[in-house]
Amino acid sequence: MNVVFACIIPILFIGSFIFASVKKVKVYDSYTKGAAKAIPLVVSVFPYLVTVTLLARLLTASGLEDKILEFLAPVFEATGVPQEIAGLILIKPLSGSGSIAVLSEILTRYGADSYVSRCACVAYGTAETIFYVAAVYFAGIKRKKLPLAIGLALLSYLVCVIFCCFLCRFL
Amino acid sequence: MNAIFTLLFLAAAICLLFFNPELFLSTVLDSASSAASLCVALLASYAIWLGLMQVWEDCGLTNLLSKALKPLCKRLFRTDDKEVLTAISVNLSANLLGIGGAATPYGIKAAQLLDKTEHAEYASCMFFALNATSIQLLPTSVVGIRASLGSGAPADIILPTLICTTLSTVLACFLTWLCLGRKSKKQAKFTKIQRAGAK
Repeated sequence: MNVVFACIIPILFIGSFIFASVKKVKVYDSYTKGAAKAIPLVVSVFPYLVTVTLLARLLTASGLEDKILEFLAPVFEATGVPQEIAGLILIKPLSGSGSIAVLSEILTRYGADSYVSRCACVAYGTAETIFYVAAVYFAGIKRKKLPLAIGLALLSYLVCVIFCCFLCRFL
Repeated sequence: MNAIFTLLFLAAAICLLFFNPELFLSTVLDSASSAASLCVALLASYAIWLGLMQVWEDCGLTNLLSKALKPLCKRLFRTDDKEVLTAISVNLSANLLGIGGAATPYGIKAAQLLDKTEHAEYASCMFFALNATSIQLLPTSVVGIRASLGSGAPADIILPTLICTTLSTVLACFLTWLCLGRKSKKQAKFTKIQRAGAK
């Protein structure tokens, strides 16, 4: 089964490049043009990564994180979600780059292939930054029902996080 | 975000001040350097995927996908306006392919245009639900980070992620439809009856 997943990415590249050649796209030029966009993107993300990593480390070092987790433990026990990923679940709706920082903290601490890390990865991919989308897309628009829509999106996000931790036990 | 950050930061810093003040500087420096190395890992994975996505865009794959999404959008948002549908389908297909940067401008445009359509309340909320829980076909940055941290099979989270992200989107759309969509259908029926009565 793992071999199949390992094949997805190379096949994607081969297929795309063959298709592009058929369409007479200059693959080399096009690829380098796209790759160049990575630098401004990382530069724009870096300040947020530093700030959120800083906060995450401070919370761990001060022992505050353990106290918050202790407080929330019954909730996590009831739903089957590993409490190590609590921080990720809380920050994901607020900040995209912040949640990448927290995700990588979790992966470093628990090992990239552990159950906790796999849960974190899937939970990270489950939804977008809900509040950020609401703020940016609907900045100039007044909709009475938007708070309800945010609530519904958060609800389905949480339900799916619980489901994903359940799923990670098998897959 | 500002309030949350300041509050948590102060709480943690004050705790440290009381229990272990020497730890503060080393923690701060350590976290910044680990953020920097995370950036290097991200740079590598962004460069690889953004290159591929540029190739997709140049050979028309992105346009093809947005064309394919149009009929679905028409039913979902209950509008025939071509401009709106184009903006929405470009936004959704950029989200599907994980090109967040390309999705945002079209998303903002679509949100503004949707505001003027017939079922604005319902359509805007549905558009929000789709974007807030967007389906991502390839979790590229996650796979990249896992690979950089020495995972044995970095790509094996693709399938569970795909299942969960699809489920969350379907669930959010269904809930939005349940809370807002049915009402607006009833209203449409009502206005139809009214119109028929007037005739």
